[in-house]
Amino acid sequence: MDLLLQVVRQPVDPDYAAVADRGGTSSRGHWRLALVTVVIGVLFAVAALQTSRSAPVQQSERRELISRVRTAETEQDDLRARATALSADITALRSAALSGDAGSRDLQRRVEQLDAATGNVAVTGPGVEVVVDDASTSGDERDQVLDLDLQILVNGLWQAGAEAVAVNGHRLSSLTAIRSAGDAITVDYRSLNRPYRVEAIGDRRTMPAAFAESAAGAWWHDLSQSRGMRFELTDSSELTLPADPGLTLRWARATS
Amino acid sequence: MIPLIGLLAGIVVGLVLEPSIPLALQPYLPIAIVAAMDAIFGAFRAYLEGSFSDRVFVVSFVSNVLIAAAIVYVGDQIGVGSQLSTGVVVVLAIRIFTNVAAIRRVLFRA
Repeated sequence: MDLLLQVVRQPVDPDYAAVADRGGTSSRGHWRLALVTVVIGVLFAVAALQTSRSAPVQQSERRELISRVRTAETEQDDLRARATALSADITALRSAALSGDAGSRDLQRRVEQLDAATGNVAVTGPGVEVVVDDASTSGDERDQVLDLDLQILVNGLWQAGAEAVAVNGHRLSSLTAIRSAGDAITVDYRSLNRPYRVEAIGDRRTMPAAFAESAAGAWWHDLSQSRGMRFELTDSSELTLPADPGLTLRWARATS
Repeated sequence: MIPLIGLLAGIVVGLVLEPSIPLALQPYLPIAIVAAMDAIFGAFRAYLEGSFSDRVFVVSFVSNVLIAAAIVYVGDQIGVGSQLSTGVVVVLAIRIFTNVAAIRRVLFRA
């Protein structure tokens, strides 16, 4: 408090009074005074210019970055759509080629089965739908769904007997990763928007109970009870999960 | 009269020439401005009280700016730069407020 009082009580440089007492208000230093005031004016002008100039630049840079991200996302969507269409073509051509004898029909059936299991084609069937979201009440970072939480949820669904899983419409395969990039969670390198909707095809009567009994069920029970995160599990008689368009092996070869 | 003309001339010069401050000095610009404002209002109050002196003004301005910049520089080196600049701004702002209040009392007698 002493310091603050001193600041308040002695706001003017005491030298002014001292010099005035000595009667030394000389007129020699006028050019110095002028110089200093010019310097102060320049300081004001430069600071104002810099602040006003850098603000719109930052804004426009941000806007440009956002638009570039949008463009790249649209391009990615287009490419994915093309990849899906092409793989549908491949499937059609292959089934045309394999429509001959009993051996190739057998091969065809096996290919179809493997396609569905690996995520190469869209699948449909009964299952459960889980919707999870951040706790809406607070802005606390710890009340947000993390990539780890989604990984645990998906693993719990696999453990509960899921045969195919998709997060927000992105089908999970052996090549998709759930991870966080910046503030967003990405699945198959696409960032997700909240809320997170996880669809899993499997036995809709046993999956909810099996999930609740698993470690993932306990994890999410804890998150929804103590953190207030949203967790809703509903069963569905018909779910359709798309194919994973990125499912192409470039290096791995089957050992026959 | 000289200070007012000088200030206006400086602002015009700054706006016209647009001198670029080196990147290393940019964090000290706002602090320097607050220190300059403190010196200006102190000088104006001294002027109203009849004890203004060119020399004291010049010396107080230069030392204000240098000390404020030095405090912030040292703070940057030891990792408390933003806290120290807040401290400098708070102290100088208190002085500016007190001086402006005194100036107001002298000018308007209120």
